[in-house]
Amino acid sequence: MKRYRISTGTVTYAIKGRDLLRKNGFNAYMERIYSGPGSAGCGYTVVVSGDLSQAVRLLRAAGVKVLETNEL
Amino acid sequence: MIYLDNAATTGKKPETVIRAVRSAMAQYCANPGRSGHVISMKAALAVYRVREKAARFFGCDGPEQVVFTASCTHSINYVLKGVLQSGSHVIISDYEHNAVVRPLVALKADFEVARVTPDDAETVENFRRLIRPDTKMIFVTGASNVFGRRLPIDALGKLCQEKGILFGVDAAQIAGIVPINMIRQHIDFLCVAPHKGLYAPMGIGILIARKNVSNTIIEGGTGTESANLIQPETLPERLESGTLNLPGIFGISAGIDFVRNLGGEEKIAQNEMRIVQNLYDGLRQIPNIRLYTPRITPEKYVPVLSFNFAEKNSAEVAAFLDQHNIAVRAGLHCAPLAHRKHCTLDSGTVRVSPSTFSTESEIRQLLSVLNRKN
Repeated sequence: MKRYRISTGTVTYAIKGRDLLRKNGFNAYMERIYSGPGSAGCGYTVVVSGDLSQAVRLLRAAGVKVLETNEL
Repeated sequence: MIYLDNAATTGKKPETVIRAVRSAMAQYCANPGRSGHVISMKAALAVYRVREKAARFFGCDGPEQVVFTASCTHSINYVLKGVLQSGSHVIISDYEHNAVVRPLVALKADFEVARVTPDDAETVENFRRLIRPDTKMIFVTGASNVFGRRLPIDALGKLCQEKGILFGVDAAQIAGIVPINMIRQHIDFLCVAPHKGLYAPMGIGILIARKNVSNTIIEGGTGTESANLIQPETLPERLESGTLNLPGIFGISAGIDFVRNLGGEEKIAQNEMRIVQNLYDGLRQIPNIRLYTPRITPEKYVPVLSFNFAEKNSAEVAAFLDQHNIAVRAGLHCAPLAHRKHCTLDSGTVRVSPSTFSTESEIRQLLSVLNRKN
């Protein structure tokens, strides 16, 4: 199953997103990311396995900001 | 010591709150929202759970609206200076604390003061009459910190919604005593002093913001978007630069549980109200006592009572009570508008405010000491 990193920026949204995805049957956990080339700097992400578009839809519907997504 | 100054801060904290604060210091000493290691993530998760709990307790839309600040005064400053600008029109009541009035003066806001009367409908009309096309906000205290008078929050919230005006509430004297539901009551900004009715430690405040706060008065590290020199826009971190007061936040969590476990705000208020009503009845029997309100009822008052003793200055009476191991507060209570309204600006008042730990016996002792002073 493919895994994706969903960047939410803040730790608050990362926890909210992780909780929401888990409640909806996703295998999800939180991870901190550090600054890299071209990035906005440090922040928090949710790593999720499964259907990315469904996960993003769920997050956005709950008001969780999705800044970017990457396949791992 | 008989402590009856709970409107300043609740003098006795529950054991559960003390244990929660200790647990934060012993087991969670890491910086939440800054690092990725286990203990930092554990601390961040614990903070988030308290946001969730506060969001449910105060009936807002979600945990991300719950901002932890250093005090209720800080919360009020964040709102007023974050939403209004110099010249913005705002309406406040004639019971406001300096926590509201001074930021408005500093901001050079165009603020008008609506008169609170014994009739709530008339009070709401007094606010309505002051509304102009450019009115940005109504900001009021939930209850006077001096005279205990509650403001008609439900009706003022409806008025704001009807007129498209922002509505902010200083809940310092009502949180934990009066049930609050921000969505149902159309409250956009709620400022809370958890160290009072929620029995949390001092040095922590809550701001719940259901609307955008455009200007910040504190900027700095948030643990996110670090390469960006501009303050992040997302709440709660936008207003939480600097390391959070984790022991205080844990105290809030235990404090909310404490209030719930006692049967909720109304149950707590009922018991404290009975104590204050008995005090009121007792004070009426003492010659030379001056009272400033009708006998207080839960519909219109929180359990806070002010009085004076003949021509004596309130500070002298409080000092006399202190000599008898009774702690009350004298003076102007940082609320000159309220004292001007009740013509007590020169003398101040002696304020008695119980907590859930106060007893009828303590009130009898207070009355007995006051009788001796006569």
